[in-house]
Amino acid sequence: MSQVSEPAHAPTSTGIEHKKLIMWLFLASDCMFFGTLISTHLLYRKLYPTGFTDAEGHQRFIQNLFNIELTSFSTFILLMSSFLMALAVSAMHKGQIKSFRRNVLGVIFFGLIFLGCQVFEFTHFFHQGLTIQNSVFGSTFYVLTGTHGTHVAIGILWLILLYFYSFTGKLGGHVGALDVEVAGLYWHFVDIVWIIIFTAVYLVEYLGPSGFWGTGLPLTK
Amino acid sequence: MSHDSHHAPVASKLDLAPERSDLGLLRPDRKTGWADWLTTVDHKKIGIMYGAFAMLFFLVGGVEALAIRTQLARPDNDFVTARMYNQLFTMHGTTMIFLGVMPLSAAFFNFLVPLQIGARDVAFPRLNAFSLWTFVAGAFVLNSSWLFEFGHLAGWFNNFAWHKSLVYTDFAPANGWFSYAPLSGTVGQADAALHSPRFTGVGTDFWIIGIQILGIASLAASFNFICTIINMRAKGMTMMRLPVFTWMTLVTSVLIILAFPAITVALIELMFDRQFGANFFNPSAGGQPILWQHLFWIFGHPEVYILVLPAMGIVSEILPTFSGKALFGYPIIVFSGAVIGFLGFAVWSHHMFTTGLGAVPTAAFALLTMAIAVPTGVKIFNWLGTIWGGKIRFTPPMVLALGFIWMFMCGGFSGVMHSAAPADAQQQDSYFVIAHFHYVLLGGVLLGLMAGLYFWFPKIFGRMPNAGVAYLASGLVILGFNLAFGPMHYLGLAGQPRRTHTYHAGNGWETWNFVATIGAFILGIGVFLAFANLVWTAFKGKKCGSDPWGGRTLEWSLSSPVAEYNFAQSPVIAARDAYFEDKHGGRRIAYENDGGEAGVHMPSQSWMPLVAGFGFLMIGLGMPMLSMGVPHMGWLVIAGLTVMFIGIWLWALEGPGGYMLKTPAVGATPSQPAHQSATTH
Amino acid sequence: MSDAAHSPSFLQEEIRRYHHFITLALWLAAITGVEIVLIFLPVPMAIILTVLCLLSAIKFFAVIMWFMHLIYDHRLLFWLFVTGLALAFATFTALLSLFAVERVDTKWFS
Ligand code: HEM
Ligand SMILES: [Cu+2]
Repeated sequence: MSQVSEPAHAPTSTGIEHKKLIMWLFLASDCMFFGTLISTHLLYRKLYPTGFTDAEGHQRFIQNLFNIELTSFSTFILLMSSFLMALAVSAMHKGQIKSFRRNVLGVIFFGLIFLGCQVFEFTHFFHQGLTIQNSVFGSTFYVLTGTHGTHVAIGILWLILLYFYSFTGKLGGHVGALDVEVAGLYWHFVDIVWIIIFTAVYLVEYLGPSGFWGTGLPLTK
Repeated sequence: MSHDSHHAPVASKLDLAPERSDLGLLRPDRKTGWADWLTTVDHKKIGIMYGAFAMLFFLVGGVEALAIRTQLARPDNDFVTARMYNQLFTMHGTTMIFLGVMPLSAAFFNFLVPLQIGARDVAFPRLNAFSLWTFVAGAFVLNSSWLFEFGHLAGWFNNFAWHKSLVYTDFAPANGWFSYAPLSGTVGQADAALHSPRFTGVGTDFWIIGIQILGIASLAASFNFICTIINMRAKGMTMMRLPVFTWMTLVTSVLIILAFPAITVALIELMFDRQFGANFFNPSAGGQPILWQHLFWIFGHPEVYILVLPAMGIVSEILPTFSGKALFGYPIIVFSGAVIGFLGFAVWSHHMFTTGLGAVPTAAFALLTMAIAVPTGVKIFNWLGTIWGGKIRFTPPMVLALGFIWMFMCGGFSGVMHSAAPADAQQQDSYFVIAHFHYVLLGGVLLGLMAGLYFWFPKIFGRMPNAGVAYLASGLVILGFNLAFGPMHYLGLAGQPRRTHTYHAGNGWETWNFVATIGAFILGIGVFLAFANLVWTAFKGKKCGSDPWGGRTLEWSLSSPVAEYNFAQSPVIAARDAYFEDKHGGRRIAYENDGGEAGVHMPSQSWMPLVAGFGFLMIGLGMPMLSMGVPHMGWLVIAGLTVMFIGIWLWALEGPGGYMLKTPAVGATPSQPAHQSATTH
Repeated sequence: MSDAAHSPSFLQEEIRRYHHFITLALWLAAITGVEIVLIFLPVPMAIILTVLCLLSAIKFFAVIMWFMHLIYDHRLLFWLFVTGLALAFATFTALLSLFAVERVDTKWFS
């Protein structure tokens, strides 16, 4: 690498690379972002614990809408994609570009499966009568999980671009490893947000007939 | 690498051989004139542009304010319609906060932070340019709503087919600067086209997307500045040696990255309500409009500290300089700034006392609000301690800075008054609140920022503003300001409601409203004069030395105007206020053996930040036009997203580039003169 | 630049991390499995809920500490992130307690 003193190489006051620092700052900020979205969802679940009313005017119970097998599967997929991402970063640090490519392809593949599951879930729920317009639950659920899905999609796009970029031969050395590591941080973050959503949005709905939010209110009128 | 010619150190960027980026496009490094400004990544030029736009929007917001005051000069006046009045105060508030104060603070961050920490640029120069252009896009989107409104009033749109389907015709935002739901939202069931009935017109859509874009600009800039301050300090510049202005920049930036996501989410939710029939704030489907208030103020209260902390930082630099003393209690000033920032996240509901939060939350938020006055008061005592016993020089920046302390303190007093919830029940939504936040924002923040402009203008342009005009302008501003806003305390307590386009005679409000209007015009003339003086100075002012005030921080060690590379050699710092001590025989600055014939690394200029910013402009204009019913506007939004994406992608692919610039020979630091004007002990 | 990056001790370290990653991935999968079983157990809700929150917190911190290298990196990064996280959590808690069920007329919407 005979480039002029690259800013990325220049020593920093703390020893942390700029790109890594800025990504962590972004993630700290994104905590507030998802924190606000999750708060919106949960406070409405608290206010209206009984579910939603579908297009035909039927009272629907959210536990019957959810499909825990599917969600668990996609959660598992996302966790494993995070694992592969960690391996991809590790490969870059060791300078093993081929191993990097293999792992990152795996991440992209798993990410796409996750998105596929989400598309399936959304259409399924839609046919079950849950829309963004017909209830507060529909609004908060679709916007929260949809925003997360958008984050996943952006991550996939980023990784695809990195994958192809690696064939130009320019993705290498310390800078290349850092670029991959930063993309990896983003990807892991998307994963941990899902860890929270999985518990706070999906699992809690299964906690018994009175519901977690349950103030003991009857389920159907 | 094949571009060796590009990498040999040059004396000026005009000597560079043409270089192609990794994309094969010519880098705009050798541009001059307009193209240079549009592609620059130099933090100083970006700062100047931020400042110029901010001053422009201060004038726009000022004209809106004078229209409001003209309307209120007499009872039962009909200078503007009620609807226009709503649009005026909404755009006035939004403009002043997001397009006036924030970018003017950003101008100082940009220009000063790298100089104060001994760096040659910010951590991400192109990201910095991206912040600027995205801000400009957002500002343009917001104000273009006026163009639509005037076009509509002039009847221009009547011939368009889509005009027939136009139900809501108020084009300029009219919900107030916090756009409370449900007024800004929807009510009832969405129709087949997913549109729910709305209370307000597309002005609200302009507001939503405009603020969203401005938020992105502020977030990007703040990430950049935190990185810069944490990571790019010169050797020896420990955190507790940072100039206070840089410290306040850091705290402000942290506040921005933690507070803006709340409004980002709130705006997304409101947008979904309006565009896609969601129910976040739709009361007829169980949405809770009050949630908007919470989300807005979770952002909104930190935002008021985002506005004031930079001005506090500026004043903390000016007072020591003109008192000939070090800042009194540096660690305490820094610490109280951080405490204010932290507590600022825990008081938001004091804007919502009258909504019926319940006894316990109300009491808790009242107590926390009172608590936040403590670190604020501590700062004031520190400033007093700084000037106490000093050899004070009443230069124009000093006069404005002293004005800041005095006016800000008055605003703090009324703030503590309505931190008591029962008292606030009387004051809420009355002119008393207007008086409060104008004392902190105008008497405080604007005076502080003006002080900063007069203080650093000689550094930025190497020219000294005319002192006579400056004193006159400062006097007019302070006098006019108090005439305009002092009486509002009385008017508010006497019951005059805020945001009401007129009032009847016979309430006893006539005299003071008239006085306030006169004051407002005096204030307007003062601000205009102050700005005109500065613009004149930038081009025609008398040349001055590099350290005309006897400054204390590193930027004064550089030539005026500052060379592109900032520091010919990187400084190594051995004390707080190192430059000042160094001038007075302390030898507190050494210089590293970099630069010289070998040159220093300069980042390459780029078109890509501008392209990405332009994408935001397309999105921002497309969205409101989409909800107006203009055909094909969905495509404009998609095209905008594409342009933005391509801009960012090409920016990643083109590579940072860079070239080496020679600096003056070793030993000859550019600015040893100008010590004579400094006060000596 | 990259000679330090390929020194034997560096490689050893990378290999050690590699094993950590594999172990962690197995744990994450196992915990998720436990969570799914948990929600169907006839145990008082409060207990299950506490355990669920704990488990997802464990997963969360495991990922940020190992996959995201916080345990290997500069401490500042950890504190930066935790600041954002803690603030988000505090805001969440405050908001949820501010919205009291008794204060909302919920009978019209379900
Ligand atoms: C001693 C510190 C302060 C205290 C105790 C305080 C307290 C308050 C309270 C309780 C309110 C709500 C009044 C109401 O709506 O009834 C308020 C409003 C406001 N404050 Fe402050 N404040 C302080 C400092 C500041 C600062 C430093 C700024 C800005 C630079 C500021 C800007 C505002 C604004 C803009 C509003 C009005 C918001 C609106 O309703 O449109 N305040 N303040
Ligand atoms: Cu406040």
